Amino acid sequence: MNDARALNRRDHLVGAALCIGYLLLLTATASDLAMSRDESFYVHAAKNAANWMSQILADPSTALERESIDRAWRYNWEHPAWMKLSFAWSWLAQKHLGLFPTESLAFRFPGMLTGALLIWLIYAWGASVMRREGAIFAALAFASMPRVFYHSHLACFDIPIAFFVTLTAYAYWRSLADLRWVPWLGLSFGLALATKHNSWILPGIFLIHFVWIRRDQVRSGRSERASIAWLPSMLLLGPLVLIGTWPWLWHDTARRLLAYASFHLRHVHYTYEYLGINYFEPPLPISVPFVMTLFTVSLTVLALCLVGLYDRRAALRPPSLTKPDAQSNRRTEVLWLGCLLAPLLVIALPSSPIFGGTKHWMTAYPFLALFAGLGFLAVAERAEISSWMGRRWPTWAFAALCLMPAAFETAHSHPFGLSHYTPLAGGVPGAADLGMNRQFWGFTTGSLGDWIAEKLPNGGSVWTCDTTHGSWAMMQRDGLIPSNIRAEASMSAADLVLVHHEAHFAEVDYQAWVAFGSVQPVYVLRYDGVPIISVYKNRARPAR
Amino acid sequence: MADARRNLGLAAWVWLAIAALAIFELVAHPIIRAARPSDESWQAAAAFVRAQYQPSDRIVGAPAWVGPIVRSELGDLLSLRMAAPPDTAGIDRVWELSIRGAASRDEPPTLEQEFDGVHVRMWSLPGDELIYDFVEEISGAKVELVRADRSKACPWVAARQAPGGLERGPMTPGERFVCDPRRPWLWVGATIVADLELRPRRCIWQHPAGPDPVRVTFTDVPLGDRLLIRGGIDYQAERRRVHAPVTLRVFINDRMAAELVHEDGDGWSGLEIDTSELPRDPAIVRFETTADDPTSRLFCWSASSVRSHLPGGDRDE
Repeated sequence: MNDARALNRRDHLVGAALCIGYLLLLTATASDLAMSRDESFYVHAAKNAANWMSQILADPSTALERESIDRAWRYNWEHPAWMKLSFAWSWLAQKHLGLFPTESLAFRFPGMLTGALLIWLIYAWGASVMRREGAIFAALAFASMPRVFYHSHLACFDIPIAFFVTLTAYAYWRSLADLRWVPWLGLSFGLALATKHNSWILPGIFLIHFVWIRRDQVRSGRSERASIAWLPSMLLLGPLVLIGTWPWLWHDTARRLLAYASFHLRHVHYTYEYLGINYFEPPLPISVPFVMTLFTVSLTVLALCLVGLYDRRAALRPPSLTKPDAQSNRRTEVLWLGCLLAPLLVIALPSSPIFGGTKHWMTAYPFLALFAGLGFLAVAERAEISSWMGRRWPTWAFAALCLMPAAFETAHSHPFGLSHYTPLAGGVPGAADLGMNRQFWGFTTGSLGDWIAEKLPNGGSVWTCDTTHGSWAMMQRDGLIPSNIRAEASMSAADLVLVHHEAHFAEVDYQAWVAFGSVQPVYVLRYDGVPIISVYKNRARPAR
Repeated sequence: MADARRNLGLAAWVWLAIAALAIFELVAHPIIRAARPSDESWQAAAAFVRAQYQPSDRIVGAPAWVGPIVRSELGDLLSLRMAAPPDTAGIDRVWELSIRGAASRDEPPTLEQEFDGVHVRMWSLPGDELIYDFVEEISGAKVELVRADRSKACPWVAARQAPGGLERGPMTPGERFVCDPRRPWLWVGATIVADLELRPRRCIWQHPAGPDPVRVTFTDVPLGDRLLIRGGIDYQAERRRVHAPVTLRVFINDRMAAELVHEDGDGWSGLEIDTSELPRDPAIVRFETTADDPTSRLFCWSASSVRSHLPGGDRDE
């Protein structure tokens, strides 16, 4: 592994091609996914932000008054503004220029863009330190993780924060060798802070890594020392960017910052089914992020990640176990390992609020993919695949073979990304047997669009369960649901009742039984034979 | 040289292992998908059960997650009691439609049939004959809110149902006794709660109002050999295990016959009252719920008057 190789034009072309290809794939498949629960909240917040931005152009002095800012930014105050501003800009562009075929795509595009840029970044960082084949493998391994693919579609913060965390780690790594990167590090950390609170752990990871390389340098007796200029840059520029991009913090700053931190440190506990137990308060088993990763990421990619870690074990040794002079580089592997493990360990802590969904530790996966790239190269090089026939295609064929399971699984997971499990879990039915979470956010309603439209040709009403009314309205604006089929707030007043199958939604199923005096769904949406949504018909309502 | 050869050998083995892993994944997924039963298999299995169905049959799916599929095929045959049994009374046979080798019972079935991936089993389990289901008879009961030495009758009314939704508690039936419109939870009627294991239980919602009882009286109750009493609190309220116990007192002909004290964590539980020695005349049976603190006491109970017409029968609830 190189300490760093300068990227050339070809590298940028490859990175750009990966980025554009992924972006096109995401945009082409987005309409299959109904807007998820959280997206509907961020869409609402983004519209508020867009209105405020329009007000800034029309009447800046009024827009900057506390009352205007609070009115625009109070909703969803618990999340920073950067991505909501991006969604808002994209929506304004849609309103004025009609860039996108659907309104939901306008909101989702900035998130997709960060997902595509992350692929580029993984390739670029990988190509800086390893052969291109490994870097391409890493980028594609990340792109073809089923849950990454799902989340990359969304107007949410999980893929954006994975991008900004990786970007910040990259900028930190560059700044260790080139002080011109120091301000870029501060800026990227600021954008990470302004995207999601996963970024809070970055200074800690970098400090541990920095101490590691400084110990290396001391032990080697070299006079040169890595500069710690990166730290003040992060600590000064980071908060400035966070506050500067988040108007909610422009008044009553300290109190609101504290409230923001407190909200996430004392986050409500989501109910989450794991190995047959429905957890609703901590501690969630420590194994959750590891087992969920095992069950949702291709086993081949995981195995190559382990091979990569094993192959680079010498570079991961603590300074005290390393011969002086043996390490003169930036210990890239140590940094990657820190970025890989920290998000998993934070969620695994018994005191952490219950989250459960893989999205909460997805910032680890770019580094998992990079180690998989190293593992792929290690296997290919050591086994001397290319030399077998004196050509390069066997290496590429091996890469394709290793990526194919993930690619096929991702293709099959769509549009049920959160319900998908790998063969190690026994697939979707195996995971159901094991009692694993089947879905959340109510986005699977999108898969019922045609069925609902067919059943209610003259309009009607649907009780939408975990699908918010905002998501429903977006489905209507996107043309997935006819406009004369409205979301109904009361089960007994609806023509159709949806029940999303998650363990703790059992009570909703029973509510429908009592409401209609029947336990018979008229339709069960299934994925690989596993119930995803039951639909009940209100037989007391006149036929439409 | 020897080291290099050995390393190459190890690397080749790792290469082979990784390639084998990839091939395993590639093959495993289609195999898993192909193993799921077709709609036709489910329909054929359901038709087989439907042809032999009797009203005292219960129909279940195994593993439990296939329940919605089984109910979509055969749900019209299932009463709310059979789908959400509070106890085993009145169930003479259990049909099970299972896939993936799952089974809801261990003992050998009376009947067994395979339908291309859907396995049908039937167990004959003649046990208690249900002669009076209090839950189904709730509309004929008298409900009162007792305060000191006075009582206020709660009228049976057609009332708006709850909207439904997560953590909204059991669904209010369209007709129920309403004791205090200012306290919307103070009603009595038949519903289904999710018990501590999230299983459905058909029961009578009788949220205690406090230390003074909420009273439900049934007249002309035919008594058999036993009264099966069960009770529980809705999952969302019971799982936190922080609230006060609920007491359910059962009176037969004005004499207290049993007291069930339900504490959070007990789950769906209960007791039996031996009525075999009581006169065979129709009885007056009264149920009173109290709690020192009624906060979040989403209590629901069931009672079945049963006659044991056959001994034995290994029954699971």
